[in-house]
Amino acid sequence: MNKMAKSQTKWVQSTITFLCVTLASVIGFHSTAMADETCMSPYMAKIVGQEDYVYVWTLGVEGLGDEQDKLVTISVNPDSESYGKVVNVLSVGGRNEAHHSGLTDDRRYLFAGGLDSNKIFIFDVHSEPGKPKLHKVITDFVEKTGGMVGPHTMYALPGRIMVSALSNNVDHGGRTGLAEFTNEGDFVAAHWMPTDEDLRGAVKAGNVADGYGYDVRVLPRRNVMVTSSFTGWSNYMMDFGKMLADAEAMKRFGNTVVIWDLHTRKPKKVFEVPGAPLEIRCAWGAHHNYCFTTTALTSQIWLIYEDDAGEWQAKAVGEIGDPSKVPLPVDISITADDNGLWVQTFMDGKTRFFDISDPFNPKQTYEHEIGSQVNMISQSWDGKRTYFTSSLLGNWDKTGEADEQFFKLFTWDGKKLNHEFTVDFYKLKLGRAHQMRFGAYALYSQKPNSTDTMLSQVE
Amino acid sequence: MKDFNHLLLILLLLAISACNRDVDDDTPLPDSRAAQAEVMVMADGWTPTLPYEVPKPGTYTLPKITSAGGGSVLGVDGQELKLENLFGDKIVLLTFIYSSCTDLNGCPLATAVFYKVKDRFKDDPKLANSIRLISISFDPEHDTPEVMRLYGAGFEEGDPQWLFLTTASEEALKPVIEQYGQMVIKEYDEKGKYTGSMAHVLRAFLIDRSKNIRQEYSVSFLHDQLVTADIKTLLIEDGILSANVD
Repeated sequence: MNKMAKSQTKWVQSTITFLCVTLASVIGFHSTAMADETCMSPYMAKIVGQEDYVYVWTLGVEGLGDEQDKLVTISVNPDSESYGKVVNVLSVGGRNEAHHSGLTDDRRYLFAGGLDSNKIFIFDVHSEPGKPKLHKVITDFVEKTGGMVGPHTMYALPGRIMVSALSNNVDHGGRTGLAEFTNEGDFVAAHWMPTDEDLRGAVKAGNVADGYGYDVRVLPRRNVMVTSSFTGWSNYMMDFGKMLADAEAMKRFGNTVVIWDLHTRKPKKVFEVPGAPLEIRCAWGAHHNYCFTTTALTSQIWLIYEDDAGEWQAKAVGEIGDPSKVPLPVDISITADDNGLWVQTFMDGKTRFFDISDPFNPKQTYEHEIGSQVNMISQSWDGKRTYFTSSLLGNWDKTGEADEQFFKLFTWDGKKLNHEFTVDFYKLKLGRAHQMRFGAYALYSQKPNSTDTMLSQVE
Repeated sequence: MKDFNHLLLILLLLAISACNRDVDDDTPLPDSRAAQAEVMVMADGWTPTLPYEVPKPGTYTLPKITSAGGGSVLGVDGQELKLENLFGDKIVLLTFIYSSCTDLNGCPLATAVFYKVKDRFKDDPKLANSIRLISISFDPEHDTPEVMRLYGAGFEEGDPQWLFLTTASEEALKPVIEQYGQMVIKEYDEKGKYTGSMAHVLRAFLIDRSKNIRQEYSVSFLHDQLVTADIKTLLIEDGILSANVD
């Protein structure tokens, strides 16, 4: 069998695998665990086989390359001749503090936000998965939302994207909200976070309703939406060292997690979770009514769970590294079987794997240093491939030689990570590598494009 | 195949009805019905009785998402209709299905939920006359107007009105489903022959009398109790229903 025929056969097998699982679970009903793929919206079609591309939303760096924010497409299918190479770079004009991105429920469009410019770039990733196109730019986010600033998480709901913001245009602090847009980028509604002054019908489980925001996730089977809290524009755009030395600035971090009624979009309960609870990952199992979050400043793992009486609770269930050294837990990723949680700590550049088979007693079973700094992780559905990127925020990344900017693939055999390849984002003059999302031809019933240009080789 | 799919739908309705019985209702089921209910496996997480509190109609808002799309469709008598002309006079609940769908938790579930919604409103003429249900096939090749007539047999009688529509061709269908963000992938076997199955994401749409989509349901939320609460919320908004309803 020649190479092309072999490749096509494998693609057909991959497609069939995708469709079979899709038919069994995604289409019609989400009946099994679905996995970044493991951290995506339950409303979204999933890539359960081999992903073809990883889209990396990248911050432009002054004096490097074209200095612009860009969507970098990396070929990651081992059957591709361009495996491990950058195949497309799409610059968006200027720097926006590129941060998070998210796919629509049909995975045809990728929404990517700028925390400083408040722009949301909508990329068409379905017409040519190896060559995304800029479809539309939302430029009136602040105006449409009534003053929200810093579009962060882009989370798929049926036909819509829920955007969690980080700040506001009044004091540029942490009070903020959620905003809904259609998959075409048209504004639908704004939902402000509950505050001490206006709880919007919610109750406080602790002493504070700070109104801060960060991440958003849902558990549709329980009609629950969960949000967490970080800090506002005045902090996330400040120099990291300067902020740490500013006692007043350090007071301006979120200390809450909010449970919402997903269907009515009404806040129900505000938990006090001290130390900036960031990423939220909800379990997939049909009876696993809980989500995890980790606190950046206090280095704890928190469980947000529904108790036997049907009441939602929040509890600190573990520590990450040595909290006294402030390792700064950042991105986390839950495995498809709900038994494992990857946690990255930015300061020591490590990833840690926790056994969470007992969600009330997470146990660290493995750790590995990915680089001098590490932030984001995306793992394949089967958990065998884990991708890491390095950047946290433009003004918070390390400096000098410690400011490595990379995209790395490791395979995971259940016991240890094995390095496969690295794409050096500084060497290729791309910028700071941030959030990753997967693409696959099988999603759109397409075949691979053999004309991918290997830009990283050109460099 | 057609008979099998109709049987599947009937079994699903029976299963929902059987499961819908109150927990303390220990009246024996008829033997055949009990046996059928036992073998039905409902979608994971989908329960006939909503496992959380149903929101009180009128206490929440349904934002306008986008305008409801139109296009050329065919009624069960083969008459060409403009989909957009079926909006405006009533609140519309619309979904896309195909009659040979065998995924229990796909099209048959949507039809079963629509049936339950119709059942919930049928005894109140004023409300029933304010609602229209629409099921559109995305398999025009197989689902001719006659096939859709057979598929909808028994469901069309009385109010709320329930229309079973198809299109003249895939070319006519494409602009309609694109406006609703519906992506359909035909499945082929190893020899490249169409298997008769389609991959699609089940969605239903609630459309107000200003022809705006006000809710988009995934399977998780396509539940007759929730849909009913949402319809009543729009009826309250229109002044057709008092705000003091449950």
